[in-house]
Amino acid sequence: MSEYVLQTNQLSKRFKGSVALDKVNVSIRKGSIYGFIGQNGAGKSTLMRIVAGLAFPSEGTIELFGTGTERELTEARKRMGLIIEGPSLFPHMTASENLEVNRLLRGIPGKDCISRMLELVGLQGTGRKKVKNFSLGMKQRLGLAIAMLSDSEFLILDEPTNGLDPMSVIEMRELLKRLNHERGLTILISSHVLSELHLLASHYGIIHHGKLLEQLTARELNDKCQQYVHIKADQPDRAAMVIQNELGTTDFEVMPDGAIKLYGYREQSGKVSTALFSAGLTIEQLMPMGEDLESYFMKRIGGAGNV
Amino acid sequence: MYNLIRAELFKLRKDRSFHVLVLIIAALSLAYPLLYYIDNKSGGKPQFTGAEFLIKFVASNGYIIKFSIAALAGFFIASEYTTGVMKTVASSGNDRGRLYAAKLIGFSAGAMMISLIFPLVSLAEVSMLSGFGQLPEGVDAFFLPRVLRFTLLYTAAYAAIGALFTAMFTESGKTISFLMVFFLMINTILGGLGEYIPVFTTVYDYSVFKLLGDIGKTRIDGGDVPALLLVPLLTIVVSGLLGVLVFRKKEIK
Repeated sequence: MSEYVLQTNQLSKRFKGSVALDKVNVSIRKGSIYGFIGQNGAGKSTLMRIVAGLAFPSEGTIELFGTGTERELTEARKRMGLIIEGPSLFPHMTASENLEVNRLLRGIPGKDCISRMLELVGLQGTGRKKVKNFSLGMKQRLGLAIAMLSDSEFLILDEPTNGLDPMSVIEMRELLKRLNHERGLTILISSHVLSELHLLASHYGIIHHGKLLEQLTARELNDKCQQYVHIKADQPDRAAMVIQNELGTTDFEVMPDGAIKLYGYREQSGKVSTALFSAGLTIEQLMPMGEDLESYFMKRIGGAGNV
Repeated sequence: MYNLIRAELFKLRKDRSFHVLVLIIAALSLAYPLLYYIDNKSGGKPQFTGAEFLIKFVASNGYIIKFSIAALAGFFIASEYTTGVMKTVASSGNDRGRLYAAKLIGFSAGAMMISLIFPLVSLAEVSMLSGFGQLPEGVDAFFLPRVLRFTLLYTAAYAAIGALFTAMFTESGKTISFLMVFFLMINTILGGLGEYIPVFTTVYDYSVFKLLGDIGKTRIDGGDVPALLLVPLLTIVVSGLLGVLVFRKKEIK
């Protein structure tokens, strides 16, 4: 049994004149919540659509639940659910009827699952109300119920909180956490709201211009986010040179205001101050700092100029 | 496969466009003979009997079949691409060939039901107003069941063609407008081409587009029956297989 729900191997997707995915190797462990981070057009949805069988790779392969042939992948997709670019619903049907169509599609015996799923997402009281009259939050929850209908083990959620009000965002997050915790559900989720993702994900993948820049766990991310030392010295250029020469690292940034962000020395700030003092520099500020996911993401993709 | 067909029939039963089409065609089927009845009555002309009406107007059902297939293809199938439902369908863990076959069966079932409305409703209405009457001499008692059977068969063939183009276009507007124009113009196009390139005359003569006009004939020669049966069956098989091929290769947005 593979410990990974999804693995891609050198996955590439080219459209006419552009590369949407460039040799991407994603690995998603069973039971994890994998936050997929990237700008619009970075390749997140393309990868999700290939995994769901909606698009076909130009090169490379995917493995779902440890299986990889086309026939096996089709079968493996019975174990997953998805919401890609909004929930896919029949607007003139009720919530139960929407679930019934999907129950039949997936060949699930018995209708018990319908009431169970409606209860799970808090839509049990919608009765004969047509989906077209649902709020966006209700539609998203119904989309989630459909995705979970066959007791899915793997959920693919592309921007599931798009357009939701703050309360619905919290509800959705709590629901996903609960499903992950109670059922061991593996989730691949993308969101533009990185702070939201930070509260949910256990693993991250950062994708930019079709290339997977990095995969890391939440712990690794936290470590990386908190490991820089904020330095403000009277001569920023000299300070940068001293850091490079004396500490032997180039893992730092000189900010427009002259402040320096030195990575990897959070626990050794004494060493940093000694080096700067010894060089005769006046240190105005020197403190260990943390950064949020958004800042980390911006740094990884090469700053706001690359957005 | 059975569950997929059930899903399609469930969707058809709940489909608003299908309900609207049934209602519109039923209303037209009631109004059309009624107008004749009123006109004949006020003009002092003899009334049509049910049998006469059917023989005279059954060919008009071809237009209803073409129109309803174009509309249903756009609203029942193509709208699933527009609403995004096709994403859930295609990723449901079912083979795409089976999904297409089930969709074609559900769609054909809907079109076949619609195709029977005009002959049955108008026949019932005229028979109630003026009686069924007698079939003309030489027309056997199997005429009505034969016409209905061929109507169903040819509707299924047209539905297979409609589903194929829907898989190619995937947008409701494009699908409806293309199918309307295609079904209305194809006879003229094939007929016109046949004048310059004779093979097109043969193609046209043995196509569902030409033969649809023959299914309401009161007398069919024994030699014509195989063509009348085989052409729609082959059309269903070929269009169905092409549709499966297109759908398998289709990226769903």
